[in-house]
Amino acid sequence: MMDYHRSRDRFDEDRIDEVLELIWMLREEGESHLDNVKKRSEDPNVSQVLTLAVSEGLISTDHGSISFRPEGEKRAENIIRRHRLAERLLSEVFEIEEKQLEDHACELEHTHVLSEVVVDSICTFLGHPPTCPHGKPIPRGECCRKFSNEMKPLVVPLTELSLGDEARIVFISSKYHARLDRLSSLGIVPGGTLRLHQKQPAYLIRIGETDLALDRELAKEIFVKKMLLS
Amino acid sequence: MHETKAGDMKNGGKIAIVGNPNVGKSVIFGLLTGRYATVSNYPGTTVTLTSGAIKVNGDDISVTDTPGVNTLIPMSEDEVVTRDILLNEVLKLVVQVADAKNLVRGLQISLQLAEMGLPFLLVLNMWDEASSRGIDVNVKKLSETIGITVIPAIGVQRKGIKELREALTEKRYSPIGMFYGNLIEDGIKKLEAILPESKISKRSVALMLLAGDLSLKPWLNNRHVSPTDIEKIDEVRRNLQDKFYEPLGYVVNQARLKKAEKIAEDVLSRQEKGSSGITVSIGRWAMHPVWGIPVLLIALFLMYEFVGVLGAQVLVEILEEGLFGNYINPFMTLLADRFIPDAFFRDLLVGEYGIITMALTYSVAIILPVVGTFFIAFGILEDSGYLPRLAVMVHRIFKLMGLHGKAVLPMVLGLGCDTMATLTARVMETKKERVIVTLLLALGVPCSAQLGVILGMLGGVSLAATFVWAFTVILILFIVGFLSSKILKGEGSDFVFDIPPLRIPVLSNIFFKTFSRIEWYLKEAVPLFIVGTLILFTLHKIRALEVIERIANPIVVGFLGLPAKATEAFLIGFLRRDYGAAGLFALAKDGLLNPNQVVVSLVTITLFVPCVANFLVMIKERGIATALAIVAFIFPFAFLVGGVLNFGFRLLGINL
Repeated sequence: MMDYHRSRDRFDEDRIDEVLELIWMLREEGESHLDNVKKRSEDPNVSQVLTLAVSEGLISTDHGSISFRPEGEKRAENIIRRHRLAERLLSEVFEIEEKQLEDHACELEHTHVLSEVVVDSICTFLGHPPTCPHGKPIPRGECCRKFSNEMKPLVVPLTELSLGDEARIVFISSKYHARLDRLSSLGIVPGGTLRLHQKQPAYLIRIGETDLALDRELAKEIFVKKMLLS
Repeated sequence: MHETKAGDMKNGGKIAIVGNPNVGKSVIFGLLTGRYATVSNYPGTTVTLTSGAIKVNGDDISVTDTPGVNTLIPMSEDEVVTRDILLNEVLKLVVQVADAKNLVRGLQISLQLAEMGLPFLLVLNMWDEASSRGIDVNVKKLSETIGITVIPAIGVQRKGIKELREALTEKRYSPIGMFYGNLIEDGIKKLEAILPESKISKRSVALMLLAGDLSLKPWLNNRHVSPTDIEKIDEVRRNLQDKFYEPLGYVVNQARLKKAEKIAEDVLSRQEKGSSGITVSIGRWAMHPVWGIPVLLIALFLMYEFVGVLGAQVLVEILEEGLFGNYINPFMTLLADRFIPDAFFRDLLVGEYGIITMALTYSVAIILPVVGTFFIAFGILEDSGYLPRLAVMVHRIFKLMGLHGKAVLPMVLGLGCDTMATLTARVMETKKERVIVTLLLALGVPCSAQLGVILGMLGGVSLAATFVWAFTVILILFIVGFLSSKILKGEGSDFVFDIPPLRIPVLSNIFFKTFSRIEWYLKEAVPLFIVGTLILFTLHKIRALEVIERIANPIVVGFLGLPAKATEAFLIGFLRRDYGAAGLFALAKDGLLNPNQVVVSLVTITLFVPCVANFLVMIKERGIATALAIVAFIFPFAFLVGGVLNFGFRLLGINL
């Protein structure tokens, strides 16, 4: 009896995982409509799963739009991280074809398959890649933070630059649609060069002839490659 | 600090001035029309439309100044205002103003105007600043590349304005086109087949929709686009988006940026010039985590000396005691005694609550010098470009209140006039931020008139009293901001914002600004002062004043520890807080308030209900429910804080 229950629970948990993953990915696209979640979900009984997730305090819905509660966001972040790291692992190390990639990665994204320690080991093994093979951002884990402090990689967040450094913007990893738009309209786009003037009380950068002030939170999402001074 | 709504239609057609934020659109507007639109050295000064008339070839043409935009896919409310003008108005010509030293950003807008199929010309403003940085733009080549007239200009020195006037008769369309790649072009074609005819090209509307511009939905509904078609548009967008990792709006922006950079590359030449110079250094110090603080203190000190000492003490002394006290009031009283036999009418003019002896004395002798000096100081501060640097300095503190540094602009503008500042709260991007800014403005940001009177009073007491007052008010603002950011639902927005160069203010602009603000003050405040005086006069005559004072006694005398006469100040404070403060000023002058009482009464009147005009704007901007909720909170809260302060003084045995 016990076993039966546990496996049933696990089945439900997996379904919740799938929905959380979907909500995360829709958010990356700037979507938060409940209807879209329902439409895009492969779960035959998605409404039931959503109700379950709401009752467990993972997500909340408001006027047809859906958003994460802190716990749900954390969980979704873990799932996405597992999934995309798995994709990287399979494609880069095992050279598995893209067609089969998705199925295998889906298997690996659940907590009971890969523990956090294993995930961090994979991440370290792969050199803390910022994106999956499709170019989507991999949420950073504890190991990545340690990594960036201990040995400096080539591409770093803007926050890691020293004052006066010149750097080229490599990519901007933001999960918010509007943020990317705003940054790009101010000239913060991949390929652009900037110079860091100040970190406190806010970040101050110069791009072309424009001085821009920005919050640390945004600066963390701008990844740059330091330019060697000639 | 006043702005006029888009004015009447002129038969000769319309011209709109558009461009990036802080490139000098309002200066150009002022030079073309001779009308003053608020000009300052920080982005977001213009939040509503200002219109004026101009004669071109004998025709009356209406010119509209618009809020600055970075792209024509709007991301904030003020950007919607500009986009809607282009979308809905029949425009004879668009005058695009760009910053000559930031050509690429300007060209991104040009490309969009070309795409919309609107006739436009390009003004390259701030030519002098570009030159001093070693940047030179080949105007002729640029004009040939984009196929429209390009005019170099230095707005504040009136250079290039004559050429601009002459060019207003032209109507040139830019033939320059953009190619966004097969996928997007395909999407554009699909949407073009569905979209209705409009004032701008279908292609540009299609691009806005593909970029996910939600603000266009109501527009589509108004144009009778059927729900199934709207659904189809959504579907095209979704399908297309699936093929890109990055948001479509971002992809489109990138393409425009590349094109703009390519054009700029061909016409720009650069000479390395070191960015030294005293303004550049001060500009940097003003944002420095350590040196920024002394710069802030120096700015505050200079302002205090100018407004608090020169304005509120020296000039008030001359006007109130000298002019009104020794000459006007005795003379008027003499005249009244001689020619007005009826005691009632005599009192109405020159009595204790007389229009001349109270309303005019308060407004002209006490408040005008203070407001005047404040407006001058504030104008210099605005035009220098110090305010955005202040935003950087206080960003952290504002972040704790669920806001960010940008909120400093409406807050500091509130020190000029809370009513105007409430309008400027639109520069904040989310509703939550706007509500918090509106609340804090209404609660505890004293407007220039009030601040001046307060500084004048405190200056007469002691420096310690000034600190206690300032500390209490700032602490309260902070606590209320912090709590409301926790209570109110919604999100904050990102802090990213451009810092204009520090400039030495142009005297004529300061003069115009101060003049138009004083004119506005006299028109708006003096009538209210007279109304307030009439109310007091009536209450006094029907002996209701005594009744009110008796009712308010437990609060004003018991709780706040103030003399009963202070009730009158609070009563007129309902109309305008500065008027209430002036009442307290008069009480203090008569020696009726000790230093502790001065501080308690000033804290209470600072936190007191917003003035009538501010309240009306709050209703207009935030809705009646929010406005009423804010006032319902503020009114008892102001007295509560005053009372707590009073008890604190007593408990700790503090005598200031």
